[in-house]
Amino acid sequence: MTTDAARSRFAEIVLPHLDDAYTLARWMTGSASDAEDVVQDACVRALRALETTAVERPRSWLLAIVRNTALTWMAKNRPSNVTSTDAEEGMADLPELTDPSPSPEEAVIARADHGSVRAAIAALPQAFREAIVMREVNGLSYKEIAETSGIPIGTVMSRLARARIMLMNTLGRPA
Amino acid sequence: MIARESHPDDDLLMLQALLDGELDASGVIDMERRIASDPRLAADYARLRALRGAIQGGAPRETAPDNLRARIAAATGVASNGNVVRFPDPAQRPAAASPTRWRTVAAAMAAAVVALLGVNVYLLSSSAFDDVERVVVAAHERGLISGQQVDVVSTDRHTVKPWLAGKVPLATTVVDLAAEGYTLVGGRVDIVADAPVPTLVYRHREHFISLTELPRGSVRMSSATRDTIGGHAVVTWSDNVRRYVAVSDMPPPELDNFVASFRRAAASEREDTPPAKK
Repeated sequence: MTTDAARSRFAEIVLPHLDDAYTLARWMTGSASDAEDVVQDACVRALRALETTAVERPRSWLLAIVRNTALTWMAKNRPSNVTSTDAEEGMADLPELTDPSPSPEEAVIARADHGSVRAAIAALPQAFREAIVMREVNGLSYKEIAETSGIPIGTVMSRLARARIMLMNTLGRPA
Repeated sequence: MIARESHPDDDLLMLQALLDGELDASGVIDMERRIASDPRLAADYARLRALRGAIQGGAPRETAPDNLRARIAAATGVASNGNVVRFPDPAQRPAAASPTRWRTVAAAMAAAVVALLGVNVYLLSSSAFDDVERVVVAAHERGLISGQQVDVVSTDRHTVKPWLAGKVPLATTVVDLAAEGYTLVGGRVDIVADAPVPTLVYRHREHFISLTELPRGSVRMSSATRDTIGGHAVVTWSDNVRRYVAVSDMPPPELDNFVASFRRAAASEREDTPPAKK
């Protein structure tokens, strides 16, 4: 049974962050209609949880539910898109930026068109993609990303660095 | 004492932390000095900043669509302006909702949609109109206002029908009426009485027509009934299994013509498929 108290907490805690929730779900699932299904499902879970849970940081809390819902949803509905990044992780493997000398790459990256940027983000492995989206699109701090994803801050930093290297290498390549 | 011979990977993490505003004041000063004296660090930092600019230009934060906000209002009982609209709890809803319950839920849904639009329409004061029709009209209006009338855009019924089949429990009747001047625009999912139902959108000249298909319920209306709600023409009718509600800003006689065309095409399509159990 959902109480009105939970519903008014929902209005206060969840509704202000729907744009962030939808943005994260959109990038995690890669599809607008899948993102809507995920966010709706996450909202129902959030409402249920608000019966008993006290929430200190609403945005990280909601995004953690959205992230978990998206991962569960994709494992069920889009199993081929879920890849483990365990093997790709770890600081030892950090690739270097390809070109050590001062190069025109910076200007090439800055000129990348919107479609290429979106395609490059979409092509990132799941864990790196969600880290870079939380940082650059949702504007979360390292601590908030760590909370939302349930990983240590060191892992957040290495995932972000990996994501950025991959994006720079993709977008910095002259067409 | 900070080791000067740090690993390149650590340099990247430090540059990134500077970019992300995650360093404290002394860390910022230290990194800025190093960037000033090391062209390679300066080039990497310039690339990181260029990437940030490219991402912010190409991948801005999205806005949750109105359609999603309406779905969340229906699923949680909280309208997007924060008003609690007191839906029956889904877990407690009986499998077959009684007609009374249906009307209550539909009224609540209409209230949610109206609250959502911020439109001060006094819909619920009169019981002259059917609550289901109001919900369907509100969904039609929302589509016109947001300019986003359909979730799947296609003039091909073989695209629209399977898309809807994945979203709603009903099999939707989708017919091609292009020859009669009604172009299929696409389909969307509306929420009526807390359940997803399919809506087709057709276009006739500059007018849009929303056609919503619902479970028939207990009432059978083989002859079509006409209403005008909020300036929109509404025609509703039912067959053996389904009820249909058509809404448009076309003049009522023209909407009647559309309904006649749709019913003809739907009936002839049904002859091609095994007859439904009577």
